[in-house]
Amino acid sequence: MTVLFAVVIALAAVSSLGVVLSRQTIYSALSLVVTVAMLAVLFLLLNAQFLFAVQLIIYAGAVMVLFVFIVALLSPDAEDRPRLDARAVIGVTGVVLVTVLVFVAARNGITYSTNGFHAVGVGSSSNPYHTFSFPPDAVNAAGNVQTVAGQLFTNYLLPFEITSMLLLVAAIGAVYLTRRARS
Amino acid sequence: MLNPNLFPFLLGLAAFLFTVGATGVLIRRNPIVVFMCIELMLNAANVALVAYGRFLNSEEGQIFAFMVIVVAAAEVVVGLALITQIFRLGRELDVDDLSEMKD
Repeated sequence: MTVLFAVVIALAAVSSLGVVLSRQTIYSALSLVVTVAMLAVLFLLLNAQFLFAVQLIIYAGAVMVLFVFIVALLSPDAEDRPRLDARAVIGVTGVVLVTVLVFVAARNGITYSTNGFHAVGVGSSSNPYHTFSFPPDAVNAAGNVQTVAGQLFTNYLLPFEITSMLLLVAAIGAVYLTRRARS
Repeated sequence: MLNPNLFPFLLGLAAFLFTVGATGVLIRRNPIVVFMCIELMLNAANVALVAYGRFLNSEEGQIFAFMVIVVAAAEVVVGLALITQIFRLGRELDVDDLSEMKD
C-alpha cells in the first residue's frame, strides 16, 4: 500500500514537470493525461471511488480529449525551451520553498492519533478544530457513492444546482464564442 | 490501515503540483499550455481536499473536489473557445502578445 502510494506520488510529480517543461504542446497534453490518471489512482487509494470515476470520465475522458483536439486543430509551433529569466527563477524558488514548507508544517505542526482504520484526530491535541460528524468506517459501511450522493443531494443541494447553472452558462458561452461572425 | 504518516506526503504533493502549475503559468507563452497548468493547479487543490477528507473521516472533501472538477470543466470549455477565436482572428498564439482587449 505504501509502495503504491510512493509510486503514484512520484509519477504524478514527474509527469507534472513534463507538462511545464515539454517543448511540444502535444507532449504537455499527454503528460497532463498521465498526471490526471495518477491522481485518479490516488483518489482510489484514498477511498474516494466516486471521485476516481469522475476524474477518469471528466478529466481523462472529456477535458483531455478537448485539449488534444484543440492542439491538433491549431497545431501550435514548438516553443523554445523556457529561458532562465526572473520569472523562471521566481517559479523554481516558489516550487522548492512552498513544497518544503507545506511538507514540514504538515509533518511537525499537526499531531496525529489513530483509532482503528481512520486517523480520527488531525489537529493540535490541545485544540482540536474539527468535530466528527461521521463515526469511523461509516463511509466504508454504506459505500462511497451512497454517502457522497446522500450529502450532495441534502446538505449541498444548492451548490449542486448552482453547478448545473454554471455548466449551462459555460455551454452557452462556448457556443456564442465559437460562432461564425456574420458578415 | 492507512498510515497517517502519509498525510504530509499528500499535502506535499498538492503543494508541489500547485507551485509547478503556477510556475508554468509564469514561464510558458502558449495559452493552451497555460490552461493545462491551470488544470494542474485545480487538481492540486483536489488532492488536498480529498486527503483532508480522508484523514478527517468525512466525505465533504470529496464533495468540494467534485465541485472543483465541474468548475474546471466549465473553465476549460470557455477558455479553449477563446483560444480558437484568437487563432481564427489570425493572431499568434502567444500570451505575451495578447495583452490588449481590442485589436
